[in-house]
Amino acid sequence: MRDSLFHCLARTTLAAVAAVIIALAGPPASAAEPPSTPRGPGPLETSCVTCHQQLDGAALEPTKHTGDDIHFLKGLSCHDCHGGNPAAGADGDPDAAHDVKKGWTGKPSRLQIPEFCAKCHADATFMKRFNPQARTDEYSEYRTSVHGKRNAGGDTRPAVCVDCHGVHGIRAVGDTRSSVHPSNLADTCAKCHANPETMRPYGIRTDQFALYKTSVHARALYENGDTSAPTCNDCHGSHGAVPPGVDHVSNVCGSCHSREATMFREIEKKKHLDLEPCIQCLVCHGNHAVKQPTDDMIGVGPASTCTGCHGEGDAGYKAAARMAEDLGRLSGRLGEAAAILEKAERAGVEVGPDKFALQKAHDDLVEAKVLVHSFDIDKFVGVSTEGIKVAEEGISAGNRAFDELSYRRLGLSLSLLVILAVIAALAMKIRRLER
Amino acid sequence: MSSLERLGAWVEERVGLSAILELGRHKKIPSHRHTLWYYLGGMTLFLFLVQVGSGILLLLYYRPSSDQAFESVQFIMTRVPFGWLVRSIHSWSANLLVFVLFLHMFSVYFLKAYRKPRELTWVSGMLLLFLMMGFGFSGYLLPWNTLAFFATQVGTQVAGAVPVVGHFMLRFLRGGEQVTGGTLTRFYGFHVAVLPALATGVLGLHLYLVQRHGMSTPPGVDSKKEMPFLPNFLLRDLIGWCLALGCLAALAAFFPWELGQKADPFAPAPAGIRPEWYFCWMFQTLKLIPGHVLGFEGEILGILGISAAGLLWVMVPFLDPTGGAGGGRSRFFTLVGWIAVVFIAVMTAAAYMPAGR
Repeated sequence: MRDSLFHCLARTTLAAVAAVIIALAGPPASAAEPPSTPRGPGPLETSCVTCHQQLDGAALEPTKHTGDDIHFLKGLSCHDCHGGNPAAGADGDPDAAHDVKKGWTGKPSRLQIPEFCAKCHADATFMKRFNPQARTDEYSEYRTSVHGKRNAGGDTRPAVCVDCHGVHGIRAVGDTRSSVHPSNLADTCAKCHANPETMRPYGIRTDQFALYKTSVHARALYENGDTSAPTCNDCHGSHGAVPPGVDHVSNVCGSCHSREATMFREIEKKKHLDLEPCIQCLVCHGNHAVKQPTDDMIGVGPASTCTGCHGEGDAGYKAAARMAEDLGRLSGRLGEAAAILEKAERAGVEVGPDKFALQKAHDDLVEAKVLVHSFDIDKFVGVSTEGIKVAEEGISAGNRAFDELSYRRLGLSLSLLVILAVIAALAMKIRRLER
Repeated sequence: MSSLERLGAWVEERVGLSAILELGRHKKIPSHRHTLWYYLGGMTLFLFLVQVGSGILLLLYYRPSSDQAFESVQFIMTRVPFGWLVRSIHSWSANLLVFVLFLHMFSVYFLKAYRKPRELTWVSGMLLLFLMMGFGFSGYLLPWNTLAFFATQVGTQVAGAVPVVGHFMLRFLRGGEQVTGGTLTRFYGFHVAVLPALATGVLGLHLYLVQRHGMSTPPGVDSKKEMPFLPNFLLRDLIGWCLALGCLAALAAFFPWELGQKADPFAPAPAGIRPEWYFCWMFQTLKLIPGHVLGFEGEILGILGISAAGLLWVMVPFLDPTGGAGGGRSRFFTLVGWIAVVFIAVMTAAAYMPAGR
């Protein structure tokens, strides 16, 4: 009994010492070497699976994922991550299988997990065997993130690899069932970031997920199924997740909204530094709850965002009023032109070239809305005036089409009268002939 | 003698117009309760002449290449004075022509006008029907719009499914494996050169045979009443032509033929693609035949079945030479005719039902 207790104590101590040595050895170069190749035998044949299938609870759990875990599917097995000697374990000796000399690490602690995964995922040579374009910078990025920094500082609560990707049963990012697939990612982040208990020690708000769900980005992603629509990581980064600083917001938004970002940079070049607090995207659009922009946001009306900075009488206030007026006029004339041309087309007049020309007004409307971000009223008016002119030409073309239609119908009526007269004359001629 | 009379005498001496007029006056048309059907032939001829006239006008502006065809038709419809009218009349007249041609064919069939000695009149008439359908098929592609492009793709695919010669026919029609600008140029050639040349010849033969054998009096009609072709019948014909012209003008003014969107070979086929209405019954039949019937491919079986039925239809004068005038099989052929009418009508309607698309 004493022998057995001693033996158990010695084994545990040895394992703990080994784990500490591995952890202290420093990631990733000094971590245990990644397997030189995906090793056989396959996961289902190893003694790890056969033994663990006899166990309960957490020890049984990994064996349930041999069919869906990306590592298993790529030919990796338990010992490729956890080390040990499954061949020796085939004789039924768990101590031989869990041989520390053979690199057995057991279950890594939350502080060890980043290095544990990085021993393969930071090894370009190893990863390229599976995917020539595989990233290997996740670990170094992670260490720049708030999560990674706190983890390095000994805080076990911030997210580590397994919190986002899962432990066993990890799926490829492109798999729609993966917890980090774009359609699931926000929910994955929200597991912690929407949890007041988890966030309280850090003083972080927990309403971001609820706000994001109301945004135009979330609508594009969830309702339209557009997986290119931004979710958490597109703005905050994935492994290097940080809250973007106020100075960087325009760069973050500008990674997709590039024209608006270019205009912002133009303003910066002009050194309008006094306007800087006003020209960040989130001042008008918000951050997590970005809504579909409407024309009402521009101008001096109750829904305007311009009046947040500009007061009655200043140049910006006047410019905002002019922008709103022009946008309203352009939208209205464009709608009118499209409607009349549509009606003329339904009535049978070919207005294809006029509809094509009207595209220019539509383009001008889009361009004018983008130019709002330049805060340059002259540029804006140049485009909006041109658009209004084209839209009015479209209305004229529609009116001409209806004039043409009336002319055709008048011509038809006269032609039919002539035809009827000829028919009557022919009928009279036949009658006279056959009288 | 006035100068006009002198001119008439000059022409008469050289052309002999009075002999032609005399022939018209001596030509007699049977007058009975079915005489109305006789006007369909003249109306078909009138619509054909409208097609020739309007087609020549369209040729002045049409450009047969994939990058210019659509734009040139758009130009005709928007910039050329009365271009919209000419193009609409050409399109409507083409459809009315095929419709009247079908009516003419069925009237001849049910009145048994195909019986001896008018077998070749029937056969030449059937050839004209096929040629007119060829005009319709080739002309449909010429505006190079989306519907025409994909309908041509489907139509030529059907030709490609014919056993043995199918692939050759597909390549012959398309000018390659795909519908391209080459197909458009080829169809233009068929539409304005090959088919008109063939149609002129066959039409000439058909009119000669009609002139030679005269109008057929249906079996069972005892009336001996007649009217001279010139001027009585021709004047009535003219009334029909005027009515057709009025209909065409009204259709062109109230329902101008749409141009649609320019064809984009890389775009997916839009929903509801179907050929012109007069091909729809065949298209729908092929759609309804199961993929495999008794170990044979359904589509091939359908094409062979329709081809065999068409051939038998052309051969009707030889299968029913007396047309019931001497007793015999004609009732059976009348029944077959009604089955054909009902089948074509039902299948065409089914193709236009939302579920049939």
